[in-house]
Amino acid sequence: MSKDLVNLNVNPCKMCMPMGSVTAFYGLAGCMTILHGSQGCSTYIRRHLATHFNEPIDIASSSLTEEGTVFGGEKNLVKGLDNLIRLYDPAVIGVSTTCLAETIGEDIPGIIRSYRQNRPGLKAKIVTVSSAGYAGTQYEGFFRALRALVEQVEPETERHGGINVVTGPVSPADARWLRECLAETGLDCILLPDPSSNLDGGATKKYERLPRGGVALGDIARMAGAAHTIELAEFVPEEASPALYLNRRHGVPFTRLPLPVGLRDMDRLAELLASLGGRRPPRLEEARSRRLDAMVDSHKYSAGVRAAVFGEPDFVYAVSRLLCENGALPVLAATGSRLPGFADRVRPDIEKAAAYRMEEDFSLLDDCDFETIESEAVRLGANVLVGSSDARRIAERRRLPLVRAAFPVHDRVGGQRIRTLGYEGGLDLLDRIVNAVLGSVEASFREELKEKYYLERESRPAAEPPGAGEAALAANRLRSGRHPCFNGGGYARIHLPVAPNCNIQCNYCVRDFSCPNESRPGVTARVVTPGEAAARFVAFRDASENLSVAGIAGPGDALADWELTRETLRLIRAADPDVILCLSTNGLLLPRHVREMAALGVSHLTVTVNAVDPAVGAAICRQVDYLGTRYHGEAGAAILMANQFAGIAMAIESGIVCKMNTVMLKGVNDGHIPLIAAKARELGCVLGNIMRMAPAKGSVFADSPPVSNREIGAMRKRCGVHLRQMAHCRQCRADAAGRLDEDRSILFAGGGDEPAGERQPGFFRFAVSSKGGVLKEKR
Amino acid sequence: MGVKGAVLEKYAAKVFKNRKEHMLEIDSGQAESRIAANSRSIPGIMTSRGCCYAGCKGVVLGPLKDALLITHGPVGCGFYSWGTRRNKARAANGGSFIQYCFSTDLQEPDIVFGGEKKLRQAIKEAIELFHPQCVLVCSTCPVGLIGDDIHAVAAESEKLYGITCVAFSCEGYKGVSQSAGHHIANNGVMRRIIGRDDTPPATKFSLNLLGEYNIGGDSWEIERILRRVGYEVVAVLTGDGSFADLSRAHNAALNLVQCHRSINYIAEMMKTRFGMDWIKVNFIGVEAACRSLRDIALYFGDPDLSRRTEEVIADELERIEPDRAHYRRKLKGRTASLYVGGSRSHHYQNLLADFGVSTVLAGYEFAHRDDYEGREVIPDIKEDADNKNIESIAVEKDEKRHRAFLAPERYAELKEKIPLDYYKGMIRDMPDGSVVIDDLNHYETEAFIELLRPDFFMSGIKDKYVIQKAGVPSKQLHSYDYGGPYAGFNGAINFARDIARSVECPAWRLVTPPWKFEAMLEGTVTE
Repeated sequence: MSKDLVNLNVNPCKMCMPMGSVTAFYGLAGCMTILHGSQGCSTYIRRHLATHFNEPIDIASSSLTEEGTVFGGEKNLVKGLDNLIRLYDPAVIGVSTTCLAETIGEDIPGIIRSYRQNRPGLKAKIVTVSSAGYAGTQYEGFFRALRALVEQVEPETERHGGINVVTGPVSPADARWLRECLAETGLDCILLPDPSSNLDGGATKKYERLPRGGVALGDIARMAGAAHTIELAEFVPEEASPALYLNRRHGVPFTRLPLPVGLRDMDRLAELLASLGGRRPPRLEEARSRRLDAMVDSHKYSAGVRAAVFGEPDFVYAVSRLLCENGALPVLAATGSRLPGFADRVRPDIEKAAAYRMEEDFSLLDDCDFETIESEAVRLGANVLVGSSDARRIAERRRLPLVRAAFPVHDRVGGQRIRTLGYEGGLDLLDRIVNAVLGSVEASFREELKEKYYLERESRPAAEPPGAGEAALAANRLRSGRHPCFNGGGYARIHLPVAPNCNIQCNYCVRDFSCPNESRPGVTARVVTPGEAAARFVAFRDASENLSVAGIAGPGDALADWELTRETLRLIRAADPDVILCLSTNGLLLPRHVREMAALGVSHLTVTVNAVDPAVGAAICRQVDYLGTRYHGEAGAAILMANQFAGIAMAIESGIVCKMNTVMLKGVNDGHIPLIAAKARELGCVLGNIMRMAPAKGSVFADSPPVSNREIGAMRKRCGVHLRQMAHCRQCRADAAGRLDEDRSILFAGGGDEPAGERQPGFFRFAVSSKGGVLKEKR
Repeated sequence: MGVKGAVLEKYAAKVFKNRKEHMLEIDSGQAESRIAANSRSIPGIMTSRGCCYAGCKGVVLGPLKDALLITHGPVGCGFYSWGTRRNKARAANGGSFIQYCFSTDLQEPDIVFGGEKKLRQAIKEAIELFHPQCVLVCSTCPVGLIGDDIHAVAAESEKLYGITCVAFSCEGYKGVSQSAGHHIANNGVMRRIIGRDDTPPATKFSLNLLGEYNIGGDSWEIERILRRVGYEVVAVLTGDGSFADLSRAHNAALNLVQCHRSINYIAEMMKTRFGMDWIKVNFIGVEAACRSLRDIALYFGDPDLSRRTEEVIADELERIEPDRAHYRRKLKGRTASLYVGGSRSHHYQNLLADFGVSTVLAGYEFAHRDDYEGREVIPDIKEDADNKNIESIAVEKDEKRHRAFLAPERYAELKEKIPLDYYKGMIRDMPDGSVVIDDLNHYETEAFIELLRPDFFMSGIKDKYVIQKAGVPSKQLHSYDYGGPYAGFNGAINFARDIARSVECPAWRLVTPPWKFEAMLEGTVTE
């Protein structure tokens, strides 16, 4: 799935090529970089690198001005190189271009050639990289710099038994580990690049201006004569791959492996090193066995992880594999790079992990921005974000934990020390991800368990009368144990059909006074007055032992006829101080009446919300009558939505327990329902209820495709990650009475004074049943 | 030639000559204190300066919370300027776009075939998704070179969608620093936003606060104090600022200018067009804030207002006194270096002085000579190729809306007493022996630290770790390292507390710089 909007990038999940190329050069010994372009490029990039690595970052600029754009920038670049050499005396100088230099078409190799010719004593090796900001992301920029190095440093082709190891952007701590790990094999390894000390330096007596650590120029020269190249990157474009160049130019065989984050990927690296003649150090075996032990220790919790992983492609791929091999599901794997093959590469692992959990829905996206990452993470019910700190705004807004495991990290210290590689590093990352999810679970599981299981058995009536505020909400939630729709199996309810009118027109709905055997919302045998309703309530209560709820569910909207509803509530409360008062509404007038509802003692509320986007809403609800005006299309849908959200929030503030009903309409709102569920949770609803559409004859949707039980079940499962779902809904009539599984409304359809249920001889009532529970035609 | 010579000696002859002009050792005995500024940085010497886009988008336009700003260009520049200045904003109804980054993310084909189409579509998508009343477009380097007419696209979008859409050609290569971007942003705001809405302020004593960007919540503390005295703040340019407030800024009685460098163009243009006076204020520092409050009261010349001003000052001072005395004891006698953009290096000297800290070095990244030497040097500043390219728009007197608040005699009288339409610059406030540096670079930062040995160094993220590697505590003054507010009375205490905690952190004792324990001079004493 790619997003529809292609021209506006909202919150980019990528940076530009020069960022990558200068980062790569920081893995070299004695190297300084100069960016040929406006000085802003260098300033911005230094700022970002310094914040992440907490180290001084020196990147020079040729400080091109308007004059340079007209007459070319050679003069500035030459001056810049002279000054850089004088102040820093570097062994290598990386010259990276920017948008500006590339757009004006600077001939950098030519400029450098003549620069060398004019300075015969020049000691520094100058390496040029073409890195226009518009030609790729930092990921491609990084590899272009590495490729330029192996291409431009004079090769020493004499064969030696050494091994080249090339990595993409990894943290200094990971690079340090990798270097040590390679050293322990006893192989002569050249690690390109090696930022371990340049981007994670110590406190020394004297600050060294020139970065001294990293791979030496001589070692890069020797790469041409190595026995093998291991490239720990699987998404590098051909033209930027150092391994491929060394292979084609100098015949060095190579193997590409994913970053060794997952156990199996570290195994592959270890095996490869062994097959190349390396020792298997006992420490590695120990680390592996500890890793296995830890995987078992946390497997129950790993299985609860639904992660949204984003960032550079190698990182996303490796972390996805880590998660999958631990029984976790990366519901979203996204990269900002434009990489058409990305999804296919990542899919097999995730598909398998999802299938194992009987899930089909996950997203694999390239060329993706954070706006899309956010909506997909929410839609798919991610419970943890894994990547850079750029997702901190999503984390804050959506209350999701964020594991900061990749560049850039701007809001925490220690970016330079992040570990993800090897048996220990991968485990460190796994622990952090699992712990982030455990953190959320630990903070909420008692409440959730109580709601799910304990409340069902809780049958004591609440001591406190409902009122405003949190205490009331808590008390009302206890009462949910006696409400058949919320928790209370075995209790009965009565719906009092006092409200005939509705203020919106949904495309699936026709309100009828209809066949008493038809069971769906909007249907009643007849509408009663508040007085009749109260009498019917009393009669039913006295005839049944377990009546706990009196509700108003139409047949129109309970709030559209507020006077009638209010009077009914008042009479019932007077007749019975203990019964739970419950309303079902479309929510349009909720903000207006909710305070009074609470004061009257309403403790439970159901709002039917079919869309959280006006465009979707307009397809379902064709008109909205609000404050004397009839609104159509999106205008009406927007008003309805706004009042639903505000009303639910106010209801919860007033202590009312809220449930959200949603009618599932194939091809209309079915893709959108998880977002509705997420919204319901955000607002504070305790329960969601996804209902099959009961297509009433004569309604616009009368001939719409029916939704199967399986589809409803699957949707409830998808939404269950956001909000607990009701699975026992019977889509009751507006005059239903009794337990959910036993409608006795026929017996009490009268006003209460006449003896109901007395049958005249010769009069029959027929019950009609259908498999789907849907009555197609009524006679 | 003192510290200056010691630092310069490492340079090649040409660089030596250039950099010499950008350094000044304060000596009040000298007839003239002249410094070179706002000229090109030398390539390759690790300047801290940013570009024109950074000044326009990052500094002036970025803090506008309800304007949706699209960076037209490849993705990098938009990404790098995303939320980096930590401006704070209250989300008004309709939300705030401060947390967002919008970019047209130009790709290679767009550079070849032009990006106008993409920009047009991006504006459409932005409007459909976010429904802003105002869309701003800032261009980056390649856009100017390939010749996209962003102004035409903006004008077309205005007509099409009935919103305000303003384009800014602030390509990074323009000018020599962020300063060019400030000017370009000022021009666009003046031309297209200020003056749209003539709703008058509710009260007589109404103000705009210009050049205050609400880093760490500074403008909220300043507004708190101003409101307490009884002023109505019509608009803040541009900290926590909004399109709606800016539209009616011209109805206020007086402009206060905090950062002279970035906003003096608007102050001057509003003076010409609407007759509004401006006074230079500084709310960084306790004494400075008191002085500014008194200057404003004097401008309005209302006895009640003056009385309230004194009451508020007395009350605020009394309230912070215990903390102020405590931190003064902790910090007194220490020395500091300052290197910030174009006004803070001056403003913070006042705050440091409140706590007995003296400034040994101060420099600006992108200031002009008038910010160092005072506005009187403006006529002497020579135009060069770089600043000639930045449009200087000529505004005309708006006959209908032009009004002078002060009678000419009163204006003349006040001009003697308060900084009315005037800024005296930083140098006049600096003590003899201190050093002023323009466009300080990394090498010079290191060298001056060794020579001047400040107890702490206040600058930005790019030098932060260089300074700390030298064993000296650093304080960021661009983003405040999550601290703030530092303005006003409460801010002064916040600042002193943060500095005291930083310099007294035990870790520093373990990384003592060499000059603190190694002999500077070695020799034997002969009897």
